[in-house]
Amino acid sequence: MSPELRRRETVAGYLFLLPSLIFFVGFVVIPMVMCVVTSFFDATMDLNTPDKFIWFDNYIELWQDPVFLKGLTNTLIIVLVSVPFTCIFSLWVASAIYKMREGLLSFFRIVFYLPVVTGSVAVTVVWKWMYNNYYGIFNYVLKNTGIISKNINWLGNPQYALWCIILILLTTSVGQPIVLYVSALSNVDNSLVEAAEVDGATNTQVFWRIKWPQIMPTTLYILIITTINSFQCFALIQLLTSGGPNYATETVMYYIYYTAFKLYRFGYGNAMGVILAIFIGILSAVQFRLAREK
Amino acid sequence: MATVQLKNIKKVYPYISGEQKKSKKKDDQPQKKINLQITDEGVVAVQQFSLDIADKEFIVLVGPSGCGKSTTLRMVAGLEEITDGELLIDGKLVNDIPPKDRDIAMVFQNYALYPHMTVYENMAFSLKLRHVPKAEIDKKVREAAEILDITQYLNRKPKALSGGQRQRVAIGRAIVRAPKVMLMDEPLSNLDAKLRNEMRAEIIKLRKRIDTTFIYVTHDQTEAMTLGDRIVIMKDGYIQQIGTPQEVFNHPANLFVAGFIGMPVMNFFDAKLVREGSKYFVEVGGYRQELSPDKEERLLNHDVQSQEITLGVRPEHTDVNDEGVAARVDVAEMMGSSVHLHVNAEGHDVIIIVPTVDMKGNYEMGDTVHFSFDGKVAHVFSKETEKNLEF
Repeated sequence: MSPELRRRETVAGYLFLLPSLIFFVGFVVIPMVMCVVTSFFDATMDLNTPDKFIWFDNYIELWQDPVFLKGLTNTLIIVLVSVPFTCIFSLWVASAIYKMREGLLSFFRIVFYLPVVTGSVAVTVVWKWMYNNYYGIFNYVLKNTGIISKNINWLGNPQYALWCIILILLTTSVGQPIVLYVSALSNVDNSLVEAAEVDGATNTQVFWRIKWPQIMPTTLYILIITTINSFQCFALIQLLTSGGPNYATETVMYYIYYTAFKLYRFGYGNAMGVILAIFIGILSAVQFRLAREK
Repeated sequence: MATVQLKNIKKVYPYISGEQKKSKKKDDQPQKKINLQITDEGVVAVQQFSLDIADKEFIVLVGPSGCGKSTTLRMVAGLEEITDGELLIDGKLVNDIPPKDRDIAMVFQNYALYPHMTVYENMAFSLKLRHVPKAEIDKKVREAAEILDITQYLNRKPKALSGGQRQRVAIGRAIVRAPKVMLMDEPLSNLDAKLRNEMRAEIIKLRKRIDTTFIYVTHDQTEAMTLGDRIVIMKDGYIQQIGTPQEVFNHPANLFVAGFIGMPVMNFFDAKLVREGSKYFVEVGGYRQELSPDKEERLLNHDVQSQEITLGVRPEHTDVNDEGVAARVDVAEMMGSSVHLHVNAEGHDVIIIVPTVDMKGNYEMGDTVHFSFDGKVAHVFSKETEKNLEF
């Protein structure tokens, strides 16, 4: 290819890229940089008072803030419970259904994917009814079966509230991994499975020694996506508990929102955002590394 | 090392619910669609398959796509359920025994190497599953690698190997276990022509070294002829003929076998078989040729009468001379040691192979030539049943 032709093609290529590049820089890169920069300022919404550069004060304050620490603990609990559960449960369901004939497979895919495509507000409202102190289905069933003697205030009791949130999160998290695992398992070359069977492998050995390594890239993707989603759990908290009772369901994401948009402490909120991003980055890198080594 | 017996094996793929309605027509006659028999039970892939394979024998299943050869092999492997009939390995009924307990090894068409394992791990996999001691695994893998000349690739992953090398690894993975029966499903079909020839020779050598029972599936009649002790020719799920390569070449049981075995394919003519006492003659295009005494004897044994027949003569068994069947030259292909003359005779396209040393001049399009054939190479097939009348 002549240099002139190559130059023209390069220019054309960049022109095609330009719209999404502008969008990406304007709405992703600049806000990210601004977030990091403002985390070093005592930034508020007060336009009359200039923001004061305070070095690492926001970051130091974070580690002394009991609400942030409680939020971080809750967030880590959510991640540690939901990520393994989502992966294991979705792999189990996908393994059970992926060989089913098309109609049945589609039915299960729809059942598990429905909470994902349903608006989170609608899902949350339904769950709020189910958790209702007086006429929620959980209290109704548990009471009628004699498991509990009096109604439980699921979302109002610090002992149960976080687990109630995690349960909802799980139901909305497994849909996509199931669909991905079904697809990944269906794509495992059947001749590899047959070769392993002829080689003497049992069904369990075929799964762990042949299929599992083949679906590892999908597992890695699911791990990272679920980790990020769990770290960023916000809508459920906002709609159900607003972090209560007594910060029992406080998460870092909700506390960022609360600090920035209720207390107008943007610098402090952004410092939390940076810490959260670092946590997600480290955990994703570890998962990526481990999966690649495997 | 083991004997393998297949007794009246049948394989039917049942309909998935709803499918039968679509495929079934108003009349209840079984339909035929791209070599498949469609019946009320489902799609019949293999039927009435009976074969006794001797210990250490090399059997080749050959036939066109969809004839049921791979299905048969997969039934022996235990990868397909047997609908009806009995399969015995070393005298033991194995119909319901899973592949892992049949002591067989299989080389797949697409190699089926585990992509996440190295060559060494691929070859050691089956031994590891059987809890063979590490030192022994190492010894066996290295021995097999040595035989197949892949020692230098033991630490590589399959994706870093060429097609030929992958094929060797696939064979290595199979032989490392010293299985009772070695199954090969079109192992050379993904290789280019040159590599295929090389690997074919390798398999012949390998067979002598590992000395086990082989069942080999191919659609390539050259592979079948060069590798097999006996060849099983299949069509539409039925065995057409079982015999040594020489038998099926010299005495094809029917028109299909005659056309399938041999390259270039056998020439066919509409001809007449004439019986005169104990003698038999074939007449085509004014040319008359007496059949050889052994053929005459076989026809006499079956009391074959004069009739219209399909006559088959192989291109290499036709001689161009001054008398015989008249033909018009369409194309003359120079192949080096011979010329393939494509001619039209008696309304049929015919190929005549003329050795270059016997050529008296060049052949041009439109030239008229005459060809004849010997009585011992003329194959007579019934017009009605397409069967060889000698059988």
